[in-house]
Amino acid sequence: MEKKVIIELIDVVKKFDDDVIVDRLNLQIYENEFITLLGPSGCGKTTTLRMIGGFEQPNSGDIIIDGKVFNELPPYARPINTVFQSYALFPHLNVFDNVAFGLNNRPFDYLLNFFNEEKLRHEIEIENNNKEITKKDLKKKIKEKISIAVKEALALVSLKGFENRKITQMSGGQQQRVALARALVNKPKILLLDEPLAALDLKLRQSMQYELKEMQRQLGITFIFVTHDQEEAMTMSDRIVVMKDGLIQQMGTPKHIYNEPVNRYVATFIGESNIIRGTYLKKDLVNFMGVDFDCQGYTFNENETVDVVIRPEDFDVVDLDKAKLKGIVTQSIFKGVHNELTVVVDAVELNVNTYENYVVGEPIGLKVDPYEIHIMKVNKDE
Amino acid sequence: MNNKAFRLLAKPYFVWLYVLALVPVFVMLFLSFVKSEGISFDEMTVSLESFLLIKERSTLVAFRNSLLFALSTTVISMVIGYFVAYRVFKSKFNNKFLVLTILILPMWSNLLLRTEALGNIMEYNNIYTDLLSKAGINAGISIRGTSLAVLIGLVFTYLPFMILPIYTALEKISVRLEEASLDLGLTEFQTFWKVTFPLSLKGLISGSIMVFLPTLSGFAIPQILGKGNIILIGNVIEESFKNMNYNFGSLLAVIILFFIIGALLIINKVDKDGETLL
Repeated sequence: MEKKVIIELIDVVKKFDDDVIVDRLNLQIYENEFITLLGPSGCGKTTTLRMIGGFEQPNSGDIIIDGKVFNELPPYARPINTVFQSYALFPHLNVFDNVAFGLNNRPFDYLLNFFNEEKLRHEIEIENNNKEITKKDLKKKIKEKISIAVKEALALVSLKGFENRKITQMSGGQQQRVALARALVNKPKILLLDEPLAALDLKLRQSMQYELKEMQRQLGITFIFVTHDQEEAMTMSDRIVVMKDGLIQQMGTPKHIYNEPVNRYVATFIGESNIIRGTYLKKDLVNFMGVDFDCQGYTFNENETVDVVIRPEDFDVVDLDKAKLKGIVTQSIFKGVHNELTVVVDAVELNVNTYENYVVGEPIGLKVDPYEIHIMKVNKDE
Repeated sequence: MNNKAFRLLAKPYFVWLYVLALVPVFVMLFLSFVKSEGISFDEMTVSLESFLLIKERSTLVAFRNSLLFALSTTVISMVIGYFVAYRVFKSKFNNKFLVLTILILPMWSNLLLRTEALGNIMEYNNIYTDLLSKAGINAGISIRGTSLAVLIGLVFTYLPFMILPIYTALEKISVRLEEASLDLGLTEFQTFWKVTFPLSLKGLISGSIMVFLPTLSGFAIPQILGKGNIILIGNVIEESFKNMNYNFGSLLAVIILFFIIGALLIINKVDKDGETLL
């Protein structure tokens, strides 16, 4: 099935004074997808989001939404809503009015269209038998409809019955939900989320992650999510865009990015990993830490220096006589499900995850399956 | 340091409060109900004579003048003050407080001196007409002694008290709120009326009170700029005390005090957290 592109960024550049924040960014976002911009603070992910939202104008390049160039369009003219990091709820309004804020302030014609004029007229006809439908009738009906829409949106974020609460009386998690409802009630085509879970505690954050993902699936809205939390990105996204210094490092499904990082930066940013310098000897054979390992599916020049990535959970702990690498456990941390070991092999520290218990000082044998060895080109500037 | 030592440090303030604020209020209340020569106890008799004086036309006119001037000063300051505060708030100056300092700079010169100087400009011959006549232009108007002069003087003096609280209130509004409003489909103009303005109302109210109360009771500005043509209640109070009629002066002062307390009660009702006055 061909996916439809809803947003396209072409060569987008954003500078603040002379600092290049976003550097010739090219990105296509598809309809109904959950895409995450991931990177440390200052990588340009929020700026990218703000350009899509219309809060910043790109210095050059085009932002195309639904086939139209949106560069200069102000935020209020875009079919986009945003959930801000700080929620940005209106403190002078209660929960209901916050959620209704967008619809309440739209022009009459917009609302007629929004709620489908035909349907409204039909409903009014059924209610009162007089044939003449006045503007007043329509206005009244729209008001009803807004009220229903707001209540539905609040129900969607499990805040039924909180309509009359003051914003200041809500907890962080509840405020976050109000912010979400306030955006969703407008039925945007695209929802931008700027680290909306950053201020929540771990438990709440995790449950919100699932809820957000679920909501996105049900509503069929394109979610563009910004975060610096790689776990969060992994849990929710259909696709992840890893950014650094205003450049896209890698783009792909969470699985793809985790298993096949393109460079050292992505490998260290996404999950724990051991990165070891090695030599690609010939097809399906790589040497690192003085040992030859079988590998699969990589083509480099013979005897090219490469970076080898092995995830901590991909090491197998084996008997010493069967081991390819032998080392000493120097640290063991209990993590609940597994133990996190630090193993020193030839003065190189490796992170190894295992279910078994090993004590510090114990010699240990390690092995890696060929398909668990991931090889990257060495980046010259690193 | 323990709490007790700190409590001791507050003692001088309490003494000050009692001696110079609380006791005098009761003295004034007491004086309102007696007839005496100054504060001397000789020949002091209980009397409600002062109350009769209130009904006199001159007093009533002074009250009406005071209220009118205070109200119009407040409204004019509100409009001008809001524009100025909003302009500074929206400007991209690095040091906005420097701009504000310049705006309130006149406040730091002596009130009488400043008002006298302002009065001078309002005369037919002043430094500006002098300069203009040197350039061959003869233009001169004299408004000193008119209500307009007093109004200008009052606005000029009390405008900074309006600008500062409004500016502070505006500065507290997060940029994100305005962005959220734009994001939800409101234009800049709608955003101002639906978000910025309501959130700055507290500043506007506290500014209004800070302008209204001193203009209601002040006497120096109308005296200097009104040249005695415009009598506000403050002038009547001043006259009474000058003429040793402490009883009538006290009574009027107490009445003004009630206005002030009333205003504070209103704030208290509107804003329970006391944020307005911060």
